[in-house]
Amino acid sequence: MPKKRLDPKLRRRLGENVEAYLYLLPVLLILGMFTVFPLFRAFYISLFRWPVVGEREFIGFANYLRLMTRDRDFWEALRNTAYYVAGSVPITLLLATGVAVLLNARLRGRVIARSAFFISYITPVVAVSLVWRWIFHRFYGLLNYGLDWVTDRPPLAWWVSFSPIDWLNEPRFAIPALIIIGVWQFVGFQAIILLAGLQNIDRQYYDAAKVDGANAWHVVRHITVPLLTPQIFFLLIISMIGAFQLFIPVFILFVGGPGPGGAARTIVFYIYETAFYEFRMGLASAASYILFAIIFVLTLIQFRFSRRWVFYGG
Amino acid sequence: MATVTSTGRLRTAAGAGVYLVRRLTWRTFAYAVLTAGAAIMLLPFAWMLSTSGKTLGEAMRIPPVWIPREQVMVEVAGEELPLYRVEVAGEVRQLALLERTGAQGVFVDPADPSQRYQLPLQEAKRVTRIRFRWENFVVAWNMAPFDRYFLNSLFLAVTTSLGGVITSIFAAYAFAKMNFAGKNWLFYLFIGTMMIPGQMLLVPNYITIKQIGWYNTYQALIVPWIATVFGIFLLRQFFKTIPDELWDSAQIDGCSRFRFLWQFVVPLSRPALVTLFLFRFIGSWNSFLWVLIMTRDDAMRTVPVGLFAFSREAGTDYHLLMAAATMAMAPLVLLFLVAQRQFIQGVARTGLK
Repeated sequence: MPKKRLDPKLRRRLGENVEAYLYLLPVLLILGMFTVFPLFRAFYISLFRWPVVGEREFIGFANYLRLMTRDRDFWEALRNTAYYVAGSVPITLLLATGVAVLLNARLRGRVIARSAFFISYITPVVAVSLVWRWIFHRFYGLLNYGLDWVTDRPPLAWWVSFSPIDWLNEPRFAIPALIIIGVWQFVGFQAIILLAGLQNIDRQYYDAAKVDGANAWHVVRHITVPLLTPQIFFLLIISMIGAFQLFIPVFILFVGGPGPGGAARTIVFYIYETAFYEFRMGLASAASYILFAIIFVLTLIQFRFSRRWVFYGG
Repeated sequence: MATVTSTGRLRTAAGAGVYLVRRLTWRTFAYAVLTAGAAIMLLPFAWMLSTSGKTLGEAMRIPPVWIPREQVMVEVAGEELPLYRVEVAGEVRQLALLERTGAQGVFVDPADPSQRYQLPLQEAKRVTRIRFRWENFVVAWNMAPFDRYFLNSLFLAVTTSLGGVITSIFAAYAFAKMNFAGKNWLFYLFIGTMMIPGQMLLVPNYITIKQIGWYNTYQALIVPWIATVFGIFLLRQFFKTIPDELWDSAQIDGCSRFRFLWQFVVPLSRPALVTLFLFRFIGSWNSFLWVLIMTRDDAMRTVPVGLFAFSREAGTDYHLLMAAATMAMAPLVLLFLVAQRQFIQGVARTGLK
């Protein structure tokens, strides 16, 4: 037997290597085929004029050039997406922080409240977006009715007069409508993560602050917030990445279209329509790469800045 | 009188009073805001449920009705007549409306049809009762092959979640407890793939799926989704907490690594496995764009894609749309109600390193 010639220690190490790679094999194959390979392939495709049927033509960086210089839809998609990200990310995080603080107060019924906030995160986005389409209905929607009700009586009635908003047909309300859905969907999820962070804070810090005579504001400012920064940072990163990829609510709210006058066209929607309505795979891939680059750069910047404000324990 | 509290602060009786009042105000405030917030969060669901039991006419009523109702009808001499509440000679009675003559109505007593009254319609109030129109669900269900959509979704959710858990168990164990060449390097590569926005891979994956002949097949909807980097990390963290001594002693007893993994590590890691399974299940049930792109036939559609197709067909029949949306949500809401703790703890854990 040739195996006998090997040193048993070495043989064991070799065996462990083989076994480890066998364990990793399925994941490596799938990730290789559907994540790593397409990453390179998308770049390759982006250098072509690539219709689904017909001749492909190598055109270098012409797709990128076109996107950056004269594709108005793409620029509009960039603007809309930026608007959505800038709106939904901070609002969700702020509200979630408030909810987390309230949930952290030992109130009766907070388990129920926690679930009430959380459930919007796990319900199917398509179904939820359909419900919101109905809520946003100009005449029979709940939102306009509620706004009308609130603004029709004091104190708001003294300052505001309200006329029904055409949420889904007026361009300037398209992104706000999407932001409302986004905030509603993720506030509970974020609150749960922040709550876990709050509960993880050692009581000793609070006791020490009390001894030193710190007031409530000082406690929040110098203990709670700094010790919560890892969670805030984590949420900032993942919610930003998620917000940049907004698609389903657009698709459902505006029935497969980009909204009134393209006001709800997001980058992913642009990619989808370019690839699967217009069958321009090359152009869509170039847009994907630009999206990737934007997310990548913004994430890097956030990591850079995080050293200044995120506090990972003493 | 002055007392010293455990925190060492000197507190007078008046001070304690102020403290108590403050605490009470804070608690009331917290309750009020939390209740209002939770109500707002649940309002869309209530609105959906309410609409799903209405007629189209009721759905479009302003101000909106929350609880669907219907007119009570009575049979008078072989005829179905609407029942009204009217005042006759200072007495409130329930009478059926026989016919309208301008602003007046002819009412009859259902108990005694020979008695007729001519009364102004303005003062008559309809008698209604709560009536939730369950038939909306039947109508919506029959308007599209929802049975097929649900079967597809269930099948895909179970297979991708199970597959994801199994591949993650192996990979996570290798990363957590084994030594092999290139471990760190691979680990960073895996972390790196988490940063790739999934949507940017749609076009190349679509082309790949078409080339390997998987377009419009189940394997296109399963295989790419049974590898989950998130799952590997989740389980790796968990496996790392299992002491090495366990493996050492198992090894002495002649237990293979494979057997050790399935007989000891897996049962010990049940909470993490359940969490992963649940999240994969939800992810699969909610996936939309991938299914939309990779399939062509109605028979391959899942609930979300089918629901979208249905929504185009149902147009503005919002009562039917809401009935369909309710059905699409029901399985996940039930799952959530059953496994609330696992869900919430699972999410909470992802934020804590």
